[in-house]
Amino acid sequence: MSSDRQSARPGFESPSIEMAVEFIRNRVAQSAGPSVAVILGSGLGGLADRIENPIAVSYNEIPGFRSSSAKGHRGELIFGQFESTQVVAMAGRLHRYEGWTNDEIAFPVQLMSTLGAEKLVVSNAAGGVSPKLRVGDIMVIRDHINWMGGGFSWNRDLGAASISRQKDVYDPEMSHEAIKVATEQNFTACVGTYLATLGPTYETRSEYRMMRRIGADVAGMSTVPEVLAAAHLGMKILGLSMVSNVANPDLAIVADHSEVLEAGRAAEAKMEAIVRGVLRAS
Amino acid sequence: MLDLYDKIQDACEKIREQFSTPPKVGIVLGTGLGGIVDEIEIESTIEYGDIPHFPTSTATSHRGRLVCGHLAGVPVMAMEGRFHMYEGYPLKQITLPVRVFKELGAELMIVSNACGGLNPYYNGGDIMVIEDQINLLGDNPLIGINDDRLGPRFPDMCEPYDQQWIDRTIRIARDQGIGIHKGVFVAVAGPNLETRAEYRFLRTIGADVVGMSTVPETIVAVHCGLKTIGLSVITDMCLPDALKPSNVDEIIATANEAAPRLVSIVKGIVNETNQTRIA
Repeated sequence: MSSDRQSARPGFESPSIEMAVEFIRNRVAQSAGPSVAVILGSGLGGLADRIENPIAVSYNEIPGFRSSSAKGHRGELIFGQFESTQVVAMAGRLHRYEGWTNDEIAFPVQLMSTLGAEKLVVSNAAGGVSPKLRVGDIMVIRDHINWMGGGFSWNRDLGAASISRQKDVYDPEMSHEAIKVATEQNFTACVGTYLATLGPTYETRSEYRMMRRIGADVAGMSTVPEVLAAAHLGMKILGLSMVSNVANPDLAIVADHSEVLEAGRAAEAKMEAIVRGVLRAS
Repeated sequence: MLDLYDKIQDACEKIREQFSTPPKVGIVLGTGLGGIVDEIEIESTIEYGDIPHFPTSTATSHRGRLVCGHLAGVPVMAMEGRFHMYEGYPLKQITLPVRVFKELGAELMIVSNACGGLNPYYNGGDIMVIEDQINLLGDNPLIGINDDRLGPRFPDMCEPYDQQWIDRTIRIARDQGIGIHKGVFVAVAGPNLETRAEYRFLRTIGADVVGMSTVPETIVAVHCGLKTIGLSVITDMCLPDALKPSNVDEIIATANEAAPRLVSIVKGIVNETNQTRIA
């Protein structure tokens, strides 16, 4: 299945992907490959500890894999079961602001897809741009605005054939399920648009005002490269943003990364409940 | 990856050989605004080519030297000629002089530029103190592994230009009978000027003026904790429904016309650092 997807999408190849797949298959001798990949964002690494029968593989050991330098991020792929589903979780991710290219950020997604994952749950901590959002809110990403720039090698390799417009980058069924789970658990998850910036600077007040005007609900420095890669590979995608701070362009409040991490811990239970519910339903 | 720290030390070592006084204020001069140099009691000038790791400026009307001396009795360092993204330099290299200012002891940076006016209430030749900025360069000088010796991983940008110094700058201009605006600067990579549709877009997203510089320097100043004052000279009006083809000579002429007022404001700011603690 996964190899079919790959051959159907030429140009998305990297010389070391086979080596990485080979390495993982030897290291993680599981009968079934993962069916769901989960990317854990800032402060959400705790979910990694709830994976049953975990086998953790450090990024540095995997051929071709780059290591994260961001604070609050680990650097492991964790294989195991979560809600009776075979999963692979990325604890720690790569960011453009660290200097990685889109291709380098796509590599883990490609690896997880090749290992069998057909669905991707991607999470992040983001700044609330919409005035309706509060710290600790969960937003299901319906769409994104790519303010990062930069392409992927497959754009070059496939040329015009790489131009496509999918009806939905983010899977409506998984999004619907996520909102349903939140309602059942007595908290609200809203839907909205994620805007990705390069970072690493937080936004100026004028930039926040601009983002409101162009239709963004939250802003962050991740997720879009992974999502574009996963969409290219034909994965079904659920995107979840945890609002870790709210932009208030008319009040000067200094954003603090430790506050981001703390809000992450508080909202982690909600995020985990959604991921559990969505996996149960799948 | 973490060689920037050593590059800063190399550059500072060379500059200290020529000018050992720690500067209090670092000044970055934009297109056509080099006139401030005539007001400095120059003690040393250093060609960029003689400073390790400094790029050399290729832009029209930009020279390429660091002018060291005293202005209003305050030790200052002025970059006569600055670097732009459109010249092809990486933003890390463009902003090296800002880190050098900081390392040499500067407490304040005054950054100036020539820009296009989007706010219809502005006129060619007007001066604006930058209140806030929008980065549309598509790049950031802080991308890469962060060197914690130089600044934080995620700098906060809620006040990139020091609010107290914005207020002081407006007062200084008013005391001298010079009109001054306060507004938002948006940086684009250039080097082409914007289309009409782009001007409409930039105005819609909240910008008052548009230029091709300043934002990288200010981001790095925030990163390394150097207070910043931004001054824009509006050298041509970019009103999408009354747009004329641009003329570099006219732009430079307008900049030259505004230069004495800008010089006067900069002098006033530097003089103010004699009386007011910068921090």
